[in-house]
Amino acid sequence: MLNVLVVSSIVKLLLVRAYRSTDFEVHRNWLAITYSLPISEWYYEKTSEWTLDYPPFFAWFERCLATFAPLADEKMLQVDNLNYASENTVLFQRLTVIVSELVLYWAILRYRRSFGSKYVHWVIAGSIFLHPGFLIYNGFLYGILLHSIVEMKKRRYLLSGFLFAALLNFKHIYLYMAPAYFVYLLKAYCFQPIPTPTENGHADRQAYANVSRFSLANFVKLGATVAAVFAISLGPFVYMGQIPQLLSRLFPFTRGLCHAYWAPNFWALYAGADRVLIIIGKRLGWSLNQDALGSMTRGFVGDTKFAVLPQVDAIHTLIITVIAQLIPLQLLWRKPTFNNFLTSLVLCGFASFLFGWHVHEKAILLILIPYSLMAANTKAHLRIFIILSASGIYSLFPLLFHSAETPIKTIFTLTWFLIVLPSLARTLHTPLRAVLHPLEYLYLVGLVVLQLYTDVLHTVIFGTGKLEFLPLMMISIYTALGVCYGWVRLMVGYLNGTI
Amino acid sequence: MTKSKMQQHGVDSPLAKNTPAHRWFQILVQNQTFWTAPLVTVLFALFVRWAVALNPYSGFQVPPMFGDYEAQRHWMELTIHLPIKKWYRYELQWWGLDYPPLTAYHSWLCGIVGSWINPAWFALDESRGYESPDSKHFMRATVVFWESIIFIPAVLVFTQICYGKQGHLKKNIAALLILLQPALIIIDHGHFQFNNIMLGTTLWAINCFMMQQYALGSFFFCLSLGFKQMALYYAPAVFAFLLGRCFKEPNGIAMFIRLGVTVVATFGVLLSPFLTSVEDIQQVFHRVFPIARGLYEDKVANMWCAVNVVVKLRQLFDLQTTIRLSLVATVLAMLPSVIHLGFNPTRKRLMYGLVCCSMSFFLFSFQVHEKSILLPALPVTLLILEEPWAVSMFINVAMFSMFPLLKREALVLPYFLVTILWNYLAGFHTIPMSKVVKLLTSICYTVILVWHIAESYIPPPQALPDLYTVLNVLFSCGCYLLAFLYFNWRQFNLVDNATEYTDHRKKHQ
Repeated sequence: MLNVLVVSSIVKLLLVRAYRSTDFEVHRNWLAITYSLPISEWYYEKTSEWTLDYPPFFAWFERCLATFAPLADEKMLQVDNLNYASENTVLFQRLTVIVSELVLYWAILRYRRSFGSKYVHWVIAGSIFLHPGFLIYNGFLYGILLHSIVEMKKRRYLLSGFLFAALLNFKHIYLYMAPAYFVYLLKAYCFQPIPTPTENGHADRQAYANVSRFSLANFVKLGATVAAVFAISLGPFVYMGQIPQLLSRLFPFTRGLCHAYWAPNFWALYAGADRVLIIIGKRLGWSLNQDALGSMTRGFVGDTKFAVLPQVDAIHTLIITVIAQLIPLQLLWRKPTFNNFLTSLVLCGFASFLFGWHVHEKAILLILIPYSLMAANTKAHLRIFIILSASGIYSLFPLLFHSAETPIKTIFTLTWFLIVLPSLARTLHTPLRAVLHPLEYLYLVGLVVLQLYTDVLHTVIFGTGKLEFLPLMMISIYTALGVCYGWVRLMVGYLNGTI
Repeated sequence: MTKSKMQQHGVDSPLAKNTPAHRWFQILVQNQTFWTAPLVTVLFALFVRWAVALNPYSGFQVPPMFGDYEAQRHWMELTIHLPIKKWYRYELQWWGLDYPPLTAYHSWLCGIVGSWINPAWFALDESRGYESPDSKHFMRATVVFWESIIFIPAVLVFTQICYGKQGHLKKNIAALLILLQPALIIIDHGHFQFNNIMLGTTLWAINCFMMQQYALGSFFFCLSLGFKQMALYYAPAVFAFLLGRCFKEPNGIAMFIRLGVTVVATFGVLLSPFLTSVEDIQQVFHRVFPIARGLYEDKVANMWCAVNVVVKLRQLFDLQTTIRLSLVATVLAMLPSVIHLGFNPTRKRLMYGLVCCSMSFFLFSFQVHEKSILLPALPVTLLILEEPWAVSMFINVAMFSMFPLLKREALVLPYFLVTILWNYLAGFHTIPMSKVVKLLTSICYTVILVWHIAESYIPPPQALPDLYTVLNVLFSCGCYLLAFLYFNWRQFNLVDNATEYTDHRKKHQ
């Protein structure tokens, strides 16, 4: 495993000069804010457009990093030094990412210790640590998530809950998964099974076949732990009466069902279907929503209006998400095993991703990373994992849109697939070509064709700068198909007990 | 020296079993996913190249003249717009063409494709100093493209020829380590050059010689010479080998004639547009062999620059004398190895002969650039499984000697990364060594480390502004000299495999 760490560190350092998205300036700004300003101003400061919109623990994390920043370049810590990006600043920020990902490294070491030390666990650990998603995003918080999952596996429920609560206070996007944690912790920890004389093994079935008794002590312990975490995090802001401001920063009323670049979720398919129906509708002379026809083609972040299909508001998405989450959660409640917990975690993440309001495509990692832990459980899981990973990772490609990064992201992803998939198939004693259904293969081939088109053919056919939204839309919709397909298979298999 | 004595001295130890590279392939074997091994190796090699390509190239944003990148771009520009006769004459003060015609044809091809994508990149005269992310990406892509079709397959074939019969592990480890050799990566994909085409065609020539396809091999070697005249560093060794084989093979005279015809025909085709007039061909030679530029330029780790520290050769002797001096020294240095190779031209001797011959040229020849170390570096790297200790020292010193050049081009971080990566995967520190060798190695790396630290933090004294570069040159030259002597000694002590050519003789019986 150490070899993986060394090689991955060298690889990450090699990519220091790669494209920096606006995230770079976002974090430089936060380093500056947390270092130069008192706490009372952290959530009010708005010199830069990238205001602090993560919970307090993350702000404290930035503050810790900022202590070392003067060693590299003091100027990055000036709040008004917008878009400052000296060599040392870049190097410093990249190094903080690499160092903070050691948390993830530690997590995968502990994963191997508690899940097993066989080859399959080594492959999964490596596949998470060197996940193509982490070319773009930081893996540090996924490290905390993984620690929490490991603790859950070891039945240290309190510690797991504590870690998850802390995680929520680093980045509130993990609220997507909170229901699964809530249900499982409640049922598995707060409802202790009454010890019954067991005839032989099958302890699990015995445990929930009988009535469980609600343990007030455990409930209070858990509640107090979680409350304590939130208290430490939010306490100072409650004291300063800044909670409304904090909440408004954390949960901005963002306009638009879809992000500027459509995340590959259900709404992307919905919007795509709407577009198709517009074309049909025009032919057949239907009366269409005129506002909608104008807004769609510009691809801005704005209120998305549909011309043919019914409008969708935030409240609708909330209801659908909740329903989509309740379905797996009720099964988890009835049969609270660890595997069900993990599956529910993934399915909750899925539900929020597929049906949520203004979903960012990075949230696909919330599904992919936990699901990696289950990828080699059965052949059925491996099938879903392959399609999901392929469409999920590919949907992140447009984020690295400069030509210099195209070969890098493509080669890295191909290599990742080439190492991970045959190894996982091997551990299931299946030849790789027997895993997927022919249509699924076709889908994967389609991804390659899509890449060729968006990279090369589109500019050849249409010329540069024309119809620029078209390739992006095609990528969104095509990968959304794969993601939705993965969700359906997982959900159905989970509910039927066939997975 | 007997084999056991060599082992005692720690110079015959194979690459250890516990290295990361070995462990990686071992894992693949154990889990029966070994079919992915060559693919993953090549993909990873390409990945490292593209990652290094993110960095600035030679002359990035440095007007007025920019650097080697602009030279290559300019050649693509002039070859697509001007008639062939003008290629070696057009406005020579702005990066005039100074490589043989195959480079020109290659530039023409790249220029045609590039112009089709965006004519502004290669517009005649207007595109001088043209720099943009997209054109950079295209130029980098051409380097990767040619390397992928010439050099990388050559390496895979080479390892198959040499180690194919000894199981999968050896050849895959060799391929990985040869492909990740840091010097070629940092120069071709960082600094920006097309050395991989010259080295690739030479490697194909070597492959052919190994497979006893001498005419085909000489064809490839002519291509290599036709691409960059520096391949002459290998020429005496190749010539001696082929001549020796003519004597050993049945039908030697027929083979000799075949070789002669191949060489003449190849060069004839390459030079054909220029053969119509004497001035044209003279101009080509004048550009390709610029004797007037003097014995040495800048500070390179070869003997003349090293001697220059004490004895100012350029002031003591005139141009003609220095040319003669250099010629004599080079010939004397390479003669033992080349003659030894000629008398018994086996495959192993060819490899060592190439090392010794090219090292003689590097140390004693005319107008040597620090990048020319890539020429000896190729055959040295090919010997990685036979001489891991020597190869590691050589390549590491080669990287060190190029540091002043790389520092000027902001390639410091990749310099460290690719060197560390290669050393780490190969696990050179696990080679069992005798105490003497270990001491020598430690001293060497300590000196390098101290030099780096001092160079970063302690400015040189006013009176000696080039102090660090000069120290680098002296140290590297010393190491190269030792390497030259070492490889000569090893060549003369080779235990020849008596059965090496029996297959061939059986075929012809």
